[in-house]
Amino acid sequence: MKRYIHTVVVLVAATSLAATTSTARAQQRTSLAKVSEEVNKRMVKLFGAGGFRGLVAYGTGIVVSPEGHILTVANHLLDTQDLRVHLYDGRRYRAKVLVMEPALSAALLKITADDLDLPYFDVEKAAQAPLAKPGDWVLAFSNQFEIATRDEPMTVQHGVIAAYSKLYGRRGVFQPPYQGDVYIVDAITNNPGAAGGALTTRDGRLLGIIGKELRNTLTDTWINYAVPIQVVGKPYANNKESFISLAKKGEWRQIETVKRTGEGGFHGVVLVPDVLERTPPYVEDVLPESPAAKAGLQPDDLIVYINGDQIVSVKAFNEYMNSVPPGTEVVLEVRRSAKAGGSDKLVSIKLKVEKPKPASVKK
Amino acid sequence: MSRHRLLAASAFWFVLCFQGLLRGQDADLIALQEAAMKAAAAKVAPSIVQIQTSGGLDIIKTSGRKGGVIRKGVGPTTGVIVDPDGYIISSAFNFVNKPTEIFVAVPGKKDRYVAKVVANDHTRMLTLLKIEEKGLPVPEAAPKKEIQVGQWSLALGRTWSSVDDPPSISVGIISAVERIWGKAIQTDAKVSPVNYGGPLVDIKGRVQGILVPASPRGEGETAGIEWYDSGIGFAIPLEDINRVLPLLKSGKNLKRGFLGITPKSRDIYSTPAIIGTVQPESTAARAGLKPGDEIIEIDGKKITRQAQLMHALGNKYEKDTISLKVKRGDKVLTFNNLTLGGQAASFQHAFLGILPMRDDSTPGVEIRYVFAKSPAAIAGLKAGDRILSIAQGKNKPQPIRNREFLINILNRVMPGVELTFNVERKGGKKEDVVVKLGKMIGVIPDKLPQPASKKNATPNKKAGKVETGILERRNGSGDHTYWVYVPEKYDAKIAHAVLVWLHPAGQGTKKELTAMLELWAPYCDDHHMIMIAPQAANETGWLRSESAVVEEAIRDVASQYTVDRQRVVAHGMGVGGQLAFYLGFENRDVIRGVATTGAMIAEGAAKPNVANQRLAFFIVAGDKDPRLPAIRNTRNSLADHNYPLFYKEIKEMGHQYLDRETLEQMVRWIDALDRI
Repeated sequence: MKRYIHTVVVLVAATSLAATTSTARAQQRTSLAKVSEEVNKRMVKLFGAGGFRGLVAYGTGIVVSPEGHILTVANHLLDTQDLRVHLYDGRRYRAKVLVMEPALSAALLKITADDLDLPYFDVEKAAQAPLAKPGDWVLAFSNQFEIATRDEPMTVQHGVIAAYSKLYGRRGVFQPPYQGDVYIVDAITNNPGAAGGALTTRDGRLLGIIGKELRNTLTDTWINYAVPIQVVGKPYANNKESFISLAKKGEWRQIETVKRTGEGGFHGVVLVPDVLERTPPYVEDVLPESPAAKAGLQPDDLIVYINGDQIVSVKAFNEYMNSVPPGTEVVLEVRRSAKAGGSDKLVSIKLKVEKPKPASVKK
Repeated sequence: MSRHRLLAASAFWFVLCFQGLLRGQDADLIALQEAAMKAAAAKVAPSIVQIQTSGGLDIIKTSGRKGGVIRKGVGPTTGVIVDPDGYIISSAFNFVNKPTEIFVAVPGKKDRYVAKVVANDHTRMLTLLKIEEKGLPVPEAAPKKEIQVGQWSLALGRTWSSVDDPPSISVGIISAVERIWGKAIQTDAKVSPVNYGGPLVDIKGRVQGILVPASPRGEGETAGIEWYDSGIGFAIPLEDINRVLPLLKSGKNLKRGFLGITPKSRDIYSTPAIIGTVQPESTAARAGLKPGDEIIEIDGKKITRQAQLMHALGNKYEKDTISLKVKRGDKVLTFNNLTLGGQAASFQHAFLGILPMRDDSTPGVEIRYVFAKSPAAIAGLKAGDRILSIAQGKNKPQPIRNREFLINILNRVMPGVELTFNVERKGGKKEDVVVKLGKMIGVIPDKLPQPASKKNATPNKKAGKVETGILERRNGSGDHTYWVYVPEKYDAKIAHAVLVWLHPAGQGTKKELTAMLELWAPYCDDHHMIMIAPQAANETGWLRSESAVVEEAIRDVASQYTVDRQRVVAHGMGVGGQLAFYLGFENRDVIRGVATTGAMIAEGAAKPNVANQRLAFFIVAGDKDPRLPAIRNTRNSLADHNYPLFYKEIKEMGHQYLDRETLEQMVRWIDALDRI
């Protein structure tokens, strides 16, 4: 009898255990598959201009309204009269571009059909959530390499947020119009056709839009990144409403990307002659009674940072200071030799740029 | 009965709990891992510094796959604190552009520090920095024996984030241990300039290693950079770094330790470790190791194949000691406490100062030409004299059979040695001439007497019908095409020099390659040369692996035509030149000369000169070529390795092919490659 019960107990335990394990596995499968399915319903494949000079003629977008508004990245793909959209269920439509806003790396399209009632991402709601943090596990959905057409689902990749950082593509080498912060993603997400794809949390909440293929200027390597959804889902700059909201209504005013140079004030720093491609910005002379002199800058100081941005060359210094208007204070960090009283730490100097004094200043 | 009920009840509860646990696992496992990873990164973060540099080169050369130049980014890089007193370890890659100033930002410290380079570990591509600070946090090292394939590994870096933010994270696993000849661990986390110098961290927040670019096929700071973000990343175990940290802190640069032997066979995976040559004055020479000895044990580990020996020696530093067991004939000899030497001493070939007459079936070597002011000239040897025998000191004279025999003897003696040559003068008079040998030089005579051949070479027996002119061929596997030019008046009794043209990137069409053959054809006709022009598979240039294709083409030509093995030359421009260098260093049994224009090698990529496999260089640069400084460095490093070297800078020339005058110099250089 004793032995009998024992056996029963063990049997029961074993059976339930086996059953439980397989259900757990099934659930796990279901949960990710479910997330993927839900996200996919809100994504579209785009086909437009391209097919030359290494630019592909396909891309990705997300549905942001039941009526068929589509958010994607502002790029060459949209430069056509014949823009086509494939929905998750295989339906095909034409679409027209409502707004292209390179400064936000965004474009809003509208499917040219009525009576649509599509599943969509509520961008403004998604933008209310806090930013993701480095180490957060994420999913990326896109039609990279045109793997999918019609009703085939997007490629899903998993990864983590590597960093939240400024998109460095700056100063001279080449400059993408969007200069804000991005999520750097630890997954090879930014492939041909991936731009406009969705970056989500692992439960499918929209975090950002996958960007164009870019080489970053910090390391000269390709980067994988997404533009946070807050950029288009929250009021931008002085606007009262978000890009999405204004663009839908046709009230978005294009951001003017003027290069802010030539309005720089007078600082009085004379650097060494710029003879190399990357001449280190050593101070040759400080004009008497100039802001630089007042701030205590000395000849032979090496300017290393302005406002925390590294200044790698004489050119970079001139570019930076050319965009600093009179009346602005900048923090210079300089390397001063031991002979001139420097130490093993950088010297911080506050310099207030003044209005130019044409008479006394030699260019 | 109550006991039974109790048992049943507890079993029931057990099942319930287990179900709960599993459901919990389903929901939370990922969250737990995510949290553990963030905690691991946060634990190490205070020790991860951000490095920025100023000054230095903008463009650096690379030993990478494409062998070109890369533009180093201007962004911040990463380092890890390894000693509370301000010592920071980083990847040597971060300083490859030789910056004039280095600045370090430390988490929690407001001001940036000026850092100095204390020392470099050249074997593991690491640089130790020092800042003036105390009490800095040092991370825990993961014990090497606990690092296993499959463990989580996080690659952390500071390029994207300031030191007050969390470091950037790339998640992967340990893919392999004991990589790069036992020096590195491998991960599939994304390793790139974004985190070179940063830590590879385990799930407990212990540092497994320091991230570096690395390649098993190259050395130097930039080797392996082409693999960035590829899922193949490397880290040097922190435990290994800590072991040599005291040496590095004392300012000592660490270099690889060399035994001073070369293997007998090139096939390292299926042959026993039999010594081919012993470098003079090396550790092996001092210990009394001899060519033909078979190494069967190192530090108690059995060695049956050469590759095992390379694994055992590959991670050793200069001044490390090893013990060997060696089989010599029937005897087993033991060598204990051998202290390894530094950079393998490059062999310095001796120079008599003559060119031999080729394809001569008469015993002895007839002198074709005597170099001005050479030891031979000083001793009174003249063109037309025939060397019959050689004696060193009071040893029995050795009769000289032919040119190869004389070269082999001269390959084994050092400059400064006095040899007695028994020569037959033109009139038939035989006399002894004593010559004090000099150092091998790369000078090219202005004019060389012709003919150079007695036209008595043993014709290639395997050859069937001989084809001449421009021929199109394919390699064995059929994936590469190459073109061959054989002089129309090909004579199988004359050994032909072989010239391999390795085209620059984007200049490998059939039209361009045959045009090159046509340019060279008159010289090939006049000087008995066969020219081969293989085509790279990619338009962008050569892959290193294509050296095998080139080698196959040379062997194929040598199997059909009479070829002078002392004068096989790899000639290339730009990336083709890089491959020519690579071929020269890696295929020493085939290549005897490397001629390049507008090409250079990465620092430290030059291999030492060895005794029995001669190699000479012909290097040309245009003085307007932006790569000029790098080409000059190449010249210097080749000269440091005692290679016979001809170097020329052409005025008013950028990155383009040789002018006529230089081309003719190169023809004479090839003609004089069998100098003795």
